[in-house]
Amino acid sequence: MRVILMCLTQVHFSMATILQNMQTITITTHKQQIVVLCSKEEQTNIQTAPGYATTNYYYQTDTRNDGSSGNNYAQSYQNYPSSDTNAAQSSSTVPANSFSYQQQYNQWPYYYNHSVPTPAGNPVAGSSNIDNTVVNTTSGYSYPSTEPPPPGTTPWKSNSSASVAPPVQAPSVPEPQNQYVQQAQLTPGFQNQYAYQAPGVPMSQNYYANQAPAYPQNNMNVNQVPLNNHGDQQKSGSLTTGIFSSENKTQIPTIPRIAPGFSMVIPKSEKKTVGADLAKKPAYVSVSVPKNDVKAVQHGSDARSLPFSLRNYATRNLSRCKDEAQRAACQSMIQQITSKAISNGTLLTKNWDTEPLIPLPENLLTMTETSSANNSSSLPNSTPRRRLKSRWEPVPEEKVTEKVEPLAKPLMNGNTHNNLKAQNRMGDSWNLGKSLQSPHAPSNKITHRLSKKQKMGSYSSVVQNGDNSSDSDKEKDLTKYYANASALANSPEEKKRREHRSKRFEKSKDSSSKSRNSAVNKGAVAHIHTRRPISALVTGSYKDGSSLAVEDMDWDALTVKGTCQEIEKRYLRLTSAPDPSTVRPEHVLEKALSMVETSQKNYLYKCDQLKSIRQDLTVQRIQNELTVKVYETHARLALQAGDLAEFNQCQSQLKRLYREGNNGCYFEFSAYNLLCVMLHSNNKRDLLSSMASLSKEAKQDGAVKHALAVHAAVSSGNYVIFFKLYKQGPNLNSCLMDLYVERMRFEAIKCMSRSYRPTVPVGYVAQVLGFLPNGDDRSEECEIWLKAHGAVLSVDNGGELQIDTKASSSTLFMPEPENAVAHGDASLAVNDFFARTS
Amino acid sequence: TPTPSAASGTPTPPSRRLLGSAFLQEFRNWETPWAMEAMHMVALEIRLLAEKADRELVMSGKNPDKLQAAGSFLMKVFGALAVKGPKRVGALYVTCQLFKIYFRLGTVNLCRSVIRSIETARNFDFEDFPVKDKVTYMYYTGRLEVFNENFLVADQKLTYALMHCNPQSESNLRKILKFLIPVKLSIGVLPRRTLLEKYNLLEYADIVTSLRRGDLRLLKQALDRHEDQLLKCGVYLVLEKLELQVYRRLVKKIHIIQREKEPSKAHQIKLEVLVKTLQWLGITMDVDEVECIMACLIYKNLIKGYFAHKSKVLVLSKQDPFPKLNGKPV
Repeated sequence: MRVILMCLTQVHFSMATILQNMQTITITTHKQQIVVLCSKEEQTNIQTAPGYATTNYYYQTDTRNDGSSGNNYAQSYQNYPSSDTNAAQSSSTVPANSFSYQQQYNQWPYYYNHSVPTPAGNPVAGSSNIDNTVVNTTSGYSYPSTEPPPPGTTPWKSNSSASVAPPVQAPSVPEPQNQYVQQAQLTPGFQNQYAYQAPGVPMSQNYYANQAPAYPQNNMNVNQVPLNNHGDQQKSGSLTTGIFSSENKTQIPTIPRIAPGFSMVIPKSEKKTVGADLAKKPAYVSVSVPKNDVKAVQHGSDARSLPFSLRNYATRNLSRCKDEAQRAACQSMIQQITSKAISNGTLLTKNWDTEPLIPLPENLLTMTETSSANNSSSLPNSTPRRRLKSRWEPVPEEKVTEKVEPLAKPLMNGNTHNNLKAQNRMGDSWNLGKSLQSPHAPSNKITHRLSKKQKMGSYSSVVQNGDNSSDSDKEKDLTKYYANASALANSPEEKKRREHRSKRFEKSKDSSSKSRNSAVNKGAVAHIHTRRPISALVTGSYKDGSSLAVEDMDWDALTVKGTCQEIEKRYLRLTSAPDPSTVRPEHVLEKALSMVETSQKNYLYKCDQLKSIRQDLTVQRIQNELTVKVYETHARLALQAGDLAEFNQCQSQLKRLYREGNNGCYFEFSAYNLLCVMLHSNNKRDLLSSMASLSKEAKQDGAVKHALAVHAAVSSGNYVIFFKLYKQGPNLNSCLMDLYVERMRFEAIKCMSRSYRPTVPVGYVAQVLGFLPNGDDRSEECEIWLKAHGAVLSVDNGGELQIDTKASSSTLFMPEPENAVAHGDASLAVNDFFARTS
Repeated sequence: TPTPSAASGTPTPPSRRLLGSAFLQEFRNWETPWAMEAMHMVALEIRLLAEKADRELVMSGKNPDKLQAAGSFLMKVFGALAVKGPKRVGALYVTCQLFKIYFRLGTVNLCRSVIRSIETARNFDFEDFPVKDKVTYMYYTGRLEVFNENFLVADQKLTYALMHCNPQSESNLRKILKFLIPVKLSIGVLPRRTLLEKYNLLEYADIVTSLRRGDLRLLKQALDRHEDQLLKCGVYLVLEKLELQVYRRLVKKIHIIQREKEPSKAHQIKLEVLVKTLQWLGITMDVDEVECIMACLIYKNLIKGYFAHKSKVLVLSKQDPFPKLNGKPV
């Protein structure tokens, strides 16, 4: 409300024009009327606009993620362009623009009827309004809140029809019954909200002012539908459950990221002639409130807590619970508190953000008492926008807001606006993969994640997956709607905004970077990803950009949950936060792994696939037997292909996974580790520690024994034993030895040429050095090899090929490896690269 | 900065590190090293506290990182001491504390930078450091050389440590000998049994005996028996390499016996004799393997001679067929 009221001054000229057209009341002095209006609001505890905005904002998010509410989203989005245009025109304050307002007006009746359920406190409102609101109010009150809601799909249809309908002069909504249905679906909290709001809508101006909140309300109502559906599924119609389920639906990535920057730009746009990008802002954004209304506005704005903050509060509480019992107790406590707040009428006025958390079950009872006491007392005394000292959010900027009005107003403007705008933008960046944010502070939003996680337990995964998949589909469909918004992202205004934003977050950077450091494990990418939207959100609704307490972050709860159902996926190193719609959940990854295992394709393909599986596991922080299996599979394939670099990566991950108690082929990989250290790294200390870490059982294992025998052969230079072991290596031990064979052979031939006199038969060398029999003459391959290494060969009297050891001892050399390339990695060779991509 | 003593139960929690930092700050400004002893005490205390804290952290299942933090603090102390002037005398003490930390943490590669700054200093003679620090320093650097299988340098450093070590400090002498003996063995110097007994280093006794007798079986048994212990202190790989010396001893014994029986053919040892001998020792090896071992012995200059593949005979040089290692590593 406050935001919208502030918006009023900006457009009061054009407003007047429109309103005159539409309403029976002619407005003479806008300022005065607003004052009256506001004081009335004050008396009746009107719900404030910032609160609305916030709430709707979140609900909107919910909607987007809710597979079932796609229609609504699209519909509400369609509304944007018209209001956007209006924004530009209204901010230039040209009366000639009135036609656009009329355009806009098409939407208002519809909204209006939502937001104005009580006509009681509406002395000057247009008659048509009254008609509608009467219907709404009565129904809203009489409708039992606990009654199961009607199917969620119906209201949207009516919604869309309502918004499409062009009743220019008549603000009444053609289908009041639909409205009624929607309201009925609301939880008691919402109904309360309407009740409060009603008195605040007495005048035509106010009517106009209400449009902004109403607009989101539209979304909100519809969003409630899936929410309540969930409630149905869960056989629980209580408010608390509704809260939880809707939160569970929330996915952080869809939250607007740009919001904070907005308020900074708006003042500028008021003065200037508005550019094309600004035209995209909704009309109500640039409207501002007259100065003398400030007090009243601030009073109104106090009642800022809407179910979102309450939900937040609830999840905050729940997230602290350590077990199911505690959670259940906590949940019932929250329900009690909520219902108490409802009965006290403080549900919406209470600042849930500053509400102390419910102590864990032992002292729950006492807490209820105090919190309900707070409920009743907070209502009359509370000062506008001033929060109690909270460990969730510092309050430093509140005072500034009050004292420096001209500066604060645009900021507040940005508030409502931000949310809507941010949705645009967010959708844009989300779909186009642009990340526009600066590193932000963490925020309340975590709680959404938390509850989401909780949900995982309570909901069947089938439901979840179904929702998610349809969700991603819908996102694709919606992409086109964001096209407008995407143009905005690259404008110079936007750049300035970004600058502002980054400056603003400088102070919160410390804490966020700190938390980032703490999360430098595998999930870090996911964390950063989720934190951005969070912070944008916080600053969007509170606009002070202050950070939340880092210690309250639960990184586990922020981990990406994949929704991709594709089995095959190409590996692409992440350059931004992971997108859940391209991340495969665990059961799909299992399929992907078995697909790779049975695949007939070459190693490069398999390596690519396995890397993408590994990435998906990593971003989802899955660390279990499947993870072990994936790494083991990849390590084996890498060994077979001689890809030592990839093998080492897998090996180091496996070491950690085994250490953390995941089962797998521990002995097999201990053996590989030993062989790797002794043959390739040649670091005595590593070898020592590897050998020292072997358990007695491990030393009894065939593969490990083999590896130790290889070590003994290598350290004494016994090539005969080495090649015997090479032939009988268990698992893939021989593959690792493969890489050492050339060196061992060369060492052996040096040794032979030095110690044997006068000759040594090539046949014997071939046998001893493990050359594979080639038909009936295995020495042929050996002969080629010997010649390549500079051995001097001769044929003796018996016709047998011999190595002239004395001559050879000075001529032996190690030839340059044929597959060597300048950069040292043959697999990076250009030809090979092309082969890989084709 | 994390404190070494942040774990519960340690007497002076974070204050120790603060004290250390403050003291270091002051110490930097003092021109004379009058507070050197105090500085050393701070360094020692920090290390000991960190070790204690880590033990407690491990017991409570947490990540022991205090010693690492202590290491980085001592590195700062080292930076303050390793300067030109009178303070440098105290640098070696801190170096030794750092060595202790790094060896315990298994991050011995970090020693390298400290060693470099100690050994490359031209304006300060190593001999001017206090003897006790020199001994400790030589002990640790000697151990590093053992890891690198740089036996000659290791021998030199450990011998220096042994020679300068306080003869009353038997435990220190034992520590030095624990590494010096394997090094000496690998360059062909065998200790007396009384030495092993005196310093309670009997894990080496069987190995020395096997080297004397050419008893390969005994060597393998001894290595098996003390494997864990030898692996832990890092000399297992050194001792493992003594195998070739044992073979050499065995061949030498066969040679001596043959010389007594048949002087004219003493320098020709038939392969089958060697295989039989090994079988008698309980080691089953086929002809090729034994032949390979002989080739290796010749290749590594443990035996002078050649191997005739056709007749399967090891032909020894008539002059000095078993050259002494004389301090040369294998």
